[in-house]
Amino acid sequence: MNPGQNERMEDAQLVQDFRGGNHQAFNKLVARWQDRIHHFSYRFFASSDDAAEITQKTFIKAYQKLDTLDDVEKFGSWLYTIANNLCLDELKRVGRKRATSYETLKMAPQTDTSTPADGPVLRNEGLVLLHKALLQLPVEQRVVVIMKEYEGLTFREIAEILDNPENTVKSRLYYGLSALKKTFDSWNINKEVFDYE
Amino acid sequence: MNKETARSLFMDYLYDELEPETRKELEQFLENNSDLQKELDELGSVRNMLQHLPVQDPAEQLILVEPDTAGFQSWWNELFESWIPRNGFARAGLTMTSLLILFVVMGAFTNMNISINDNGFNLAFGETKEPVQSGFTPEQVDYLLQQVKEENALMITEAVQALQESQDEKLEQTLFNFADYMEEQRRVDLQLISSGLNNMEEVYYDRFRQTDQVLGELIQTVSTRN
Repeated sequence: MNPGQNERMEDAQLVQDFRGGNHQAFNKLVARWQDRIHHFSYRFFASSDDAAEITQKTFIKAYQKLDTLDDVEKFGSWLYTIANNLCLDELKRVGRKRATSYETLKMAPQTDTSTPADGPVLRNEGLVLLHKALLQLPVEQRVVVIMKEYEGLTFREIAEILDNPENTVKSRLYYGLSALKKTFDSWNINKEVFDYE
Repeated sequence: MNKETARSLFMDYLYDELEPETRKELEQFLENNSDLQKELDELGSVRNMLQHLPVQDPAEQLILVEPDTAGFQSWWNELFESWIPRNGFARAGLTMTSLLILFVVMGAFTNMNISINDNGFNLAFGETKEPVQSGFTPEQVDYLLQQVKEENALMITEAVQALQESQDEKLEQTLFNFADYMEEQRRVDLQLISSGLNNMEEVYYDRFRQTDQVLGELIQTVSTRN
């Protein structure tokens, strides 16, 4: 049994325990998953406030709907589905403008897209621009990039979460990475930037 | 393999989800297609840069579920969870044992007595007493039965007689009513016949009178002409 499968079995047992009336089991599920959901939503919005809110909403919804989960071994994928839907809802509610600004711009006001080409970009600025570039991707590509690159999900898992064919997921990831490459080139960001201290 | 096929395998290759044979085949193809190799390397470098993206952990556990410990339901659930086994057979066994204990305790409090004899299974509560033989002798029973039979015969005779009298009275009354009805009918018929004869007499009288008058006028006319 590989670690991922073992983890899924433990999640499934905790879900069954919660359904049996053990509330502590849900707290354990939150402890096991809140970092991953928080990271996902933080990368989606680049805002710790939004990430915390999305994470809380995700677990509240999971708490309310856990009885409807058919395959308890897919708790993780189910949780990502909830989080992704909440992120999309939030995006519709506040609009793309807010989602693509936020803390990245607050953290480094001098990181205008025209300035990096004039000289070496400091590592700190590079990190901010990295997030900014990610936020500029179309939502469908951004979600796939985050899930694959940072959450380490397989293409099959992402396809299940997004309810899309696997080839669609791969295609979005390809276009997402290609778009990021163009953005990095136009902003004069390369891997040396992140080695600069 | 062509370029499009090779490009469609890029994502599986980059994220190590490609079968070893296909991977090898792709790598061999890329050796002869430097432009594709360059593109793949660039996508790989994008991946490397993305890995530098910082992330924030939540400061504390954002959601903490606390069961409602105040309510009876919660208390009952806790008790249930802590004492009742989850296995179905174990639950059934516990239920049977509980019922048996309850049965024994109730029996002790109520002086329950269970016995099996020729008449069957007896379940009794409280102090049991030997049944005392008290009643009539067979002669008394025969006498009583005889008396009851006589009383019953007398009652039936009286009842039949009363019924007969009642029916006779009703029949007599019915005959009287029928006779009255026939008499009344006869009287009405006679009145109708008498009335009809009177009318007929008047009609014939008028016709005789008119005939006499016409004959008189005729005789007078004839004698005048002569």
